[in-house]
Amino acid sequence: MDFTMTDEQKALRSAARELAARHAPERGEGDVPVGPHDHDPKTWTAMAEMGALGLPFAEDVGGFGASPVEVSIVAAELGSAGVQTAYADALVAASLLVSSGSQSGLVEAVTDGSALVLPALTEPQRAWSQTFSSMTASQVGDKWVLSGTKEPVLCVGSATHLVVPAQTNDGLAVFLVETPVVSGARVALVETPATLLLDPSRTPAALAGAVNLGIVTLAGEALGAMDAALSMTVEYLKTRKQFGVPLMKFQTLTQRAADMYVSLELARSTVLFAAMQLADHPDDAAIASRTKVVVGRTGRHIGQEAIQLHGGIGMTAEYSVGHLTARLTAIERTFGDPRQHLAILAGSVRDHAMVDVLS
Amino acid sequence: MERRLSEEDAAFRQQMRDFFTKTFPQDIRDRWHAGGEVGPDDIRASQRILNEAGLAVPHWPTEYGGKDWTTLQRHIYLHEMQTASVPPPLAFNANMVGPVIAAFGSKELKDRFLPATANLDIWWCQGFSEPDAGSDLASLRTTATRDGDEWVVNGQKTWTTLGQHADWIFALVRTNPDAPKKQLGISFLLIDMSTPGVTVRPIQLIDGGHEVNEVFFDNVRVPAAQLVGEVDQGWSYAKFLLGNERVGVAPVGSIKRKLADAKTFAATVRSGDGTLLDDPLLSARIAELECEVMALELTAIRVAGGSTEGKPDPASSILKLRGSELQQDVLELVVDIAGPSGLQWNRYDGTDLESWTRRAAPTYLNFRKASIYGGSNEVQRQVISSGILGLRG
Ligand SMILES: Cc1cc2nc3c(=O)[nH]c(=O)nc-3n(C[C@H](O)[C@H](O)[C@H](O)COP(=O)(O)OP(=O)(O)OC[C@H]3O[C@@H](n4cnc5c(N)ncnc54)[C@H](O)[C@@H]3O)c2cc1C
Repeated sequence: MDFTMTDEQKALRSAARELAARHAPERGEGDVPVGPHDHDPKTWTAMAEMGALGLPFAEDVGGFGASPVEVSIVAAELGSAGVQTAYADALVAASLLVSSGSQSGLVEAVTDGSALVLPALTEPQRAWSQTFSSMTASQVGDKWVLSGTKEPVLCVGSATHLVVPAQTNDGLAVFLVETPVVSGARVALVETPATLLLDPSRTPAALAGAVNLGIVTLAGEALGAMDAALSMTVEYLKTRKQFGVPLMKFQTLTQRAADMYVSLELARSTVLFAAMQLADHPDDAAIASRTKVVVGRTGRHIGQEAIQLHGGIGMTAEYSVGHLTARLTAIERTFGDPRQHLAILAGSVRDHAMVDVLS
Repeated sequence: MERRLSEEDAAFRQQMRDFFTKTFPQDIRDRWHAGGEVGPDDIRASQRILNEAGLAVPHWPTEYGGKDWTTLQRHIYLHEMQTASVPPPLAFNANMVGPVIAAFGSKELKDRFLPATANLDIWWCQGFSEPDAGSDLASLRTTATRDGDEWVVNGQKTWTTLGQHADWIFALVRTNPDAPKKQLGISFLLIDMSTPGVTVRPIQLIDGGHEVNEVFFDNVRVPAAQLVGEVDQGWSYAKFLLGNERVGVAPVGSIKRKLADAKTFAATVRSGDGTLLDDPLLSARIAELECEVMALELTAIRVAGGSTEGKPDPASSILKLRGSELQQDVLELVVDIAGPSGLQWNRYDGTDLESWTRRAAPTYLNFRKASIYGGSNEVQRQVISSGILGLRG
């Protein structure tokens, strides 16, 4: 095992860093957008141009033959600059398109940025589940139609296609829907024509692999956001003065910064390992869940402490720390929250004596 | 020790409960309960209804509307008001400037301001913090210089909550820059916000809301009679204001209301074949919070009994510290319950999402403030370690 980046990976990181700096949100006096961002076509085009959108897929299916490791490197740079995109979601959708083996044209359009395909996975007032969908699929002649509601689907207003898991008579299958009609973040389908991408026999493994890719992408983004939140906090403790001294004179604060650093480094190891592991075993659910638990808790710890150690300024929309914490709060609850992933892991503690990372 | 409420207190509790849940207007309670940014009209209306019923300022001196209740009765009153989602009296009026004027103001100031303050005919905001004077409040730099019968105020306040609605601001100003200690040269001044030279600039918070402001003073002329108590004694009045309260420091009733709501919410979120309330890890978390909130409530009741004699009370730090933490924990739980439905914050037509899911994350983020304002939790720990434990390193 080796965690050091290759020269190629370092080059990718600098390219992503430049891109992120160019597209970072501008903040200052006056009102700024808060909460989840809308889709920004300029950032997306730039990401397509640098090849980010096809990174983890093989070249013969329209990708660039890299892996989740490269994805997490790009995502970390976006996260650290506070650039919010539909990157993780788009990779989940693209992974399902690739698995279907029948959509090479669309995969190309996805990687060059001309199509935005998003997965519709979440349902209103329902806990996250990757194995359940109340969307139903039925066959009319040789055509499929879907009925049901997915919400919220972020950035869906800009999507050209949706990838939708739906229940057939034979189990969960995955479908493609073109130019969906939406209101806000809701997708309400009524006998909407759809193309079958994955039949029930292939759906569970394909969905697991796709969501795992989404999880590690967000974990990478979270790593970047946590890095940025910690370094802003450290800088602030050095410069902000109260009682005639910089805040770093108060050991209670510097010790907490040290705890943030410890959490962050453990999360970093976990994310890098998960990316390497998923490159080899895309459907390893246990590593994805462990990553969700570690990164979710760390994001919470670092996000909350970053605001607290800043005091009032950390609460403002003019300043980035609060935005980073908001994003970490959302990431923690995307593709399942730590509690749900812990429940999944708890169900299988009997299956192994210990967790082996060196195999 | 006696576990049961006396007959008198039980009757008092019923009387409060009846008023807050039966007499008080339901529509105002519903809007307050739903959360989000509440309009100033509801806050004003609520306080006037409470004041008319003699329930706006029960802890003030009786001649200005106080009730002479025991601290247990005061706890019961707050608990019933908060669990019924009745907007409480504006803290700046009822808990901050009112008690200071009542304790240290001249008869003339009391008569002029207290009735209007109790009835929210004057909306007060708190002008203490400055950009460079947060935890280190005593280093504040806004100055007031005497010119004939007036004070001339120059400088800047910040984080002024709801300053955009305020008619008046009570401000700490430096009246003696040459005092031997920085705490000694500060005075407590009442300033009409419509005086020429006062400007207010909104600050946007991370949830998108505008509840705080910067307030600038440019040669603002204030009649000398609007200085509370004695010149250069403002610091002791400010300490009285910030630390003398044991009762109501922890919003126990609000926390319990929210935790009960969280259970209702969880029961509406489907998970597998049941709801999130059936999820053993989630319900365990709820049970854990119920234990912690119970311990907080009992502590609030237990320490409320002690006398404070108008001095800052370290016990109130326990309540502030734990109260803010538990408030934040419960709001975080609601974000967990909202789950994927809480990932979007916008209001739009044609949605199957319930509005509490949209508000969950912004509200959680907004309440990170609770461990920062009113003396941060680090400052509270300092008060406990030095004031109670005698650890003065
Ligand atoms: C939403 C909101 C509303 C507010 N409303 C008002 C209002 O209406 N009126 C008003 O006057 N003020 C108000 N405040 C200001 C509030 O009281 C201050 O934010 C608070 O005093 C902290 O000051 P600061 O923000 O400058 O942080 P700082 O004092 O700079 O503190 C930064 C960090 O350092 C810690 N710290 C500072 N000194 C020490 C120390 N000696 N030992 C250990 N840790 C320390 C703090 O706890 C914090 O974690 C409000 C603040 C917020 C966020």
